[in-house]
Amino acid sequence: MTTQESRKRWISFGIGLIWLFIILWPLLGIKPEGLEFMPTLSLWIKLAVASVCVMLVYELNRGGVFDPIKRTGASLKDSTQRLYTATPNWLLICIALAFAIAFPAMTGRYGHDVACNVLIYICLGLGLNVVVGLAGLLDLGYIAFYGVGAYTYALLSIHYGISFWLCLPVAGALAAIAGCIIGYPTLRMRGDYLAIVTLGFGEIVRLVLNNWMDLTNGPNGLMGVKRPGLYWLDFTNGWSLEHIWLKKVWMFYYVILLIAIFTIIAVYRLNYSRIGRAWEAIREDETAAELMGVNTFLLKLLAYASGAVFAGFAGAFFAARMRFVSPESFTFLESAMVLAMVVLGGMGSIPGVMLGALALIALPEAFREFDVYRMLVFGGVMTLMMLVRPKGLCPAKRVGRRSEEAE
Amino acid sequence: MKRILILMLVLAISLVSASAFAETLKLGSMSPLTGPYAADGNDIANGVRTAIEVVKSEGGIPGFDDITLSAQDTACDPRQAVAAANKLINEGVNAVIGTYCSSATLPSSEAFDEEDIIMLTPGATNENVTERGLQNMFRTCGRDDDQSKAALAFMTNYLKSKSIYLVDDKTAYSQGLADNVEKASGAAGIKVLGHDHVNQGDKDFSAVLTKVKAANPDVFYISLQNSATGALLLIQAKRMGIDAVYLSQDAVYHPQLITIAKKDADGMYLTFGYVDTSAPSYKKFIKAYEPKYGKPGAYSAYAYDSAMAYLAAVKKAGSVELSKVRTALLSMEFKGASKTFRYKENGDSGSNYIIRKIENGKFVDYWNVQTGEKF
Amino acid sequence: MDYFLQQLINGVTLGGVYALIALGYTMVYGIIQLINFAHGEFFAAGGYMGVIIISYLSAKGVSPVLCIALGLGLTMVYCAILAMAVEKVAYKPLRSSSRLSVLLSALGMSIFLQHGLMLTQGVYDKPYPTAMTAGGFELGGVVVSYMQIYIILITAFLLVALNLLVFKTRIGKAMRATAQDKVMSALLGINSNRIISLTFAIGAGLAAAAGIMVGFYYGSVNYTMGFVPGIKAFAAAVLGGIGNITGAMIGGLIIGMVEIFAAGYLSSEYKDVFAFIILIAVLYFRPTGIMGENVDDTRV
Repeated sequence: MTTQESRKRWISFGIGLIWLFIILWPLLGIKPEGLEFMPTLSLWIKLAVASVCVMLVYELNRGGVFDPIKRTGASLKDSTQRLYTATPNWLLICIALAFAIAFPAMTGRYGHDVACNVLIYICLGLGLNVVVGLAGLLDLGYIAFYGVGAYTYALLSIHYGISFWLCLPVAGALAAIAGCIIGYPTLRMRGDYLAIVTLGFGEIVRLVLNNWMDLTNGPNGLMGVKRPGLYWLDFTNGWSLEHIWLKKVWMFYYVILLIAIFTIIAVYRLNYSRIGRAWEAIREDETAAELMGVNTFLLKLLAYASGAVFAGFAGAFFAARMRFVSPESFTFLESAMVLAMVVLGGMGSIPGVMLGALALIALPEAFREFDVYRMLVFGGVMTLMMLVRPKGLCPAKRVGRRSEEAE
Repeated sequence: MKRILILMLVLAISLVSASAFAETLKLGSMSPLTGPYAADGNDIANGVRTAIEVVKSEGGIPGFDDITLSAQDTACDPRQAVAAANKLINEGVNAVIGTYCSSATLPSSEAFDEEDIIMLTPGATNENVTERGLQNMFRTCGRDDDQSKAALAFMTNYLKSKSIYLVDDKTAYSQGLADNVEKASGAAGIKVLGHDHVNQGDKDFSAVLTKVKAANPDVFYISLQNSATGALLLIQAKRMGIDAVYLSQDAVYHPQLITIAKKDADGMYLTFGYVDTSAPSYKKFIKAYEPKYGKPGAYSAYAYDSAMAYLAAVKKAGSVELSKVRTALLSMEFKGASKTFRYKENGDSGSNYIIRKIENGKFVDYWNVQTGEKF
Repeated sequence: MDYFLQQLINGVTLGGVYALIALGYTMVYGIIQLINFAHGEFFAAGGYMGVIIISYLSAKGVSPVLCIALGLGLTMVYCAILAMAVEKVAYKPLRSSSRLSVLLSALGMSIFLQHGLMLTQGVYDKPYPTAMTAGGFELGGVVVSYMQIYIILITAFLLVALNLLVFKTRIGKAMRATAQDKVMSALLGINSNRIISLTFAIGAGLAAAAGIMVGFYYGSVNYTMGFVPGIKAFAAAVLGGIGNITGAMIGGLIIGMVEIFAAGYLSSEYKDVFAFIILIAVLYFRPTGIMGENVDDTRV
């Protein structure tokens, strides 16, 4: 039985390899000067050997060769699991917090920079999680709110010199208003129609930023955005408050850490509030929710608006840290990236989204070693991860049973 | 016997101490290796590689036993550029050659400024790059404002044109340049029939070109960021039958303009930094570059020169400290592949734009802006 | 008037290209409700494969007409094979998962294919032998190139052929049945996996044809060329009513015309904004697109 199955697998694997050759050869082998087989063949053999190795490991695994290792692994996993469930939640959070606070001391400038990016995307991911994960509204133009936040701070800072901390709520509020504007016409639409309309709105925002020369300086971007300032105790003579500008990356890290912690708490509270329950109801069955007395109109708008707020915060921070904003940072690919974080991490799950952000930002940085192959590997890994864990790395634990689970 | 032993000991000690003191000189390059500007970005990285190979083959730099390059991708995106800059800073590079896009150069240069790392850009021509008073910023290519002057001189003195229509794609570089040309043309009495903008990444220009055709200008000024896009526009314009003098600038200047547009490219004029292809320094560059990386693009030579100038300055200063290298750079006249130049106080290297023309599928020097005569 | 007619021709040509790409989107969506982001990449791959095959054949001294015909045919086959492989690897294992996971798998594939093209074909634009199809005529001040006529004709032909295939043949019947109810059609003896594979193949073949025509029309292909037309074609498919073949055609033409007329009469910078505003306005008043039927309430 098993041998038959494994033979079947090897046959389909072989067909796959032949298929790969058919796809590769025309791209590499047909030249105006004539047909070449060697370059394709050498590349193909490399790929084939690599995939045969993977396949062998897989087969051996199925054959039970790795069982002893796996057993120790499983027991290890079991004990960590037990430890994890045994430790109270507050302790885990404290450990995570302590790690986050101590992080800058452990790494260099590059580490701080990547960490800042990860935290920005955690804010974005959690914000989008409200819209997609909780309310179930597919949004492909989410990055527009991020752009609104970034340009709000940049413009206010450049023209009026308003401080970052004052602009932060303004950026959030403006993003929320933008969320309502975008949300309103889409309320009647469902599924993929919603997706394309949000995509359209996202593109419109980017194109306006790109073309409204007087306000945004077009594709050249806005320069000279001020850093956030801070009042700090100064002990040089007696003690007084001194105003300093945040200069080093690790200082920015703490600012975004604060924003991220605020976002996490806010999304967590929203998730378990009445509103959060109503969103979940809308996601599961909009008609039924409406019949149960949920005001779907208001709540869907609220989902857009509150999701946008976090993107606004993240955007303002982004502008402050780069001290430069340009429309190139707000393309559709960014929206897709944030969506990927949410789905990869596990929709509706806060630790999942955080994990997703970490994976998708840290991976391309890790892949910088691959040089030109970086994005190729990234795309491949993204598909692979979806294949291996279609529900996400850390799927949300839902309360109660669901129709699809019962099937 | 004893003497020999002592000699050997001394030799060994000197060898050990030499290798102990020898360091690696780390260069970084930043350019768009992926994305729509990948063509120019790879030219830049290859130019720097060539420079390092040439210097190494000539015996390297005293005090350093190796020169390495870490080529980073900016994708022409400010955010990725800053990430790449931070990565280079962390790797401890001594200098950075890059970047190509002005929008990526501006924010990343500030990150390098904080760490006193020198940056030489081979491609960013926006005025602001060197107008911010940064001590670490140098530019090997020309400036947008100088280029527009060259274009105007050509139109008024040589073409004696009466009207102009401009199209740009709104980058810091391309629109800045087109705006300068528009202003200067208006002042010089050339009638501006229209100034349209297209978006980067557009492929279909038929609507805009129909407008140009209806306006029927003497000069059609094309200011785009990307040479391939320029070729597409050219093909469509010729197909539309626009009967004007086609004038363009140095970002459109690239061998692929001719390979794509083919016959349609003939007769086009471009403003470009004068390159003396008969100069020995250029021949040296071509000899090292072509066998490995193929025909050089518009920015290969500038990247090569930037790296060569920096390495020469390090050799002269005997140090990699910013202030010392800066002094050395400012004091040297450098015979490069693209031009002979000396960096000014603000980091600029001066512009030497001329008009080149495409004739029978080749770029030829056509009109000298300084003398007002044909070559 | 000349100006208007010229812009009209420009618009119809661009619309035809969008329509051809949109057809593939709409077919795949119709059958498995997947927004196939990798579809734009099939278009780009078609453009590359076309120039590779055509330059090889013309170097061997084959006559231009035969070159183009063979190139078109072989490229369509190639892209069909590519699409079937992508479907097998990236979409089929996820058929029972949430639709968002497939969407992201498609996005990953899109990035992968795009950079795969970059690595095998280089970052430079690849020029097309435009001389083969050059030429045109002038009619009362309106310039029409032969390529524009070819694009319009081939698009119309493929649309008719596709409609015949879907509505008049057994395969088409099987496709429609699979689209309506996968389980039921499987019970009735339709191999739904094969039908889905076939749908991908046909969609990619159409995209490949569009890729070659774009290559000839504009003069070159580039590895990034698939992304923007992909999004526009997706918008066109939705505008026409996603899942509907004639709708995709109409949607493509509308998006193309709006873009050209907006650029010609209003502002060339904001042309895409106008295209998206029209899209949103249409969907606001007709939430299922112009030709679309009511879709059932599908969750993300």
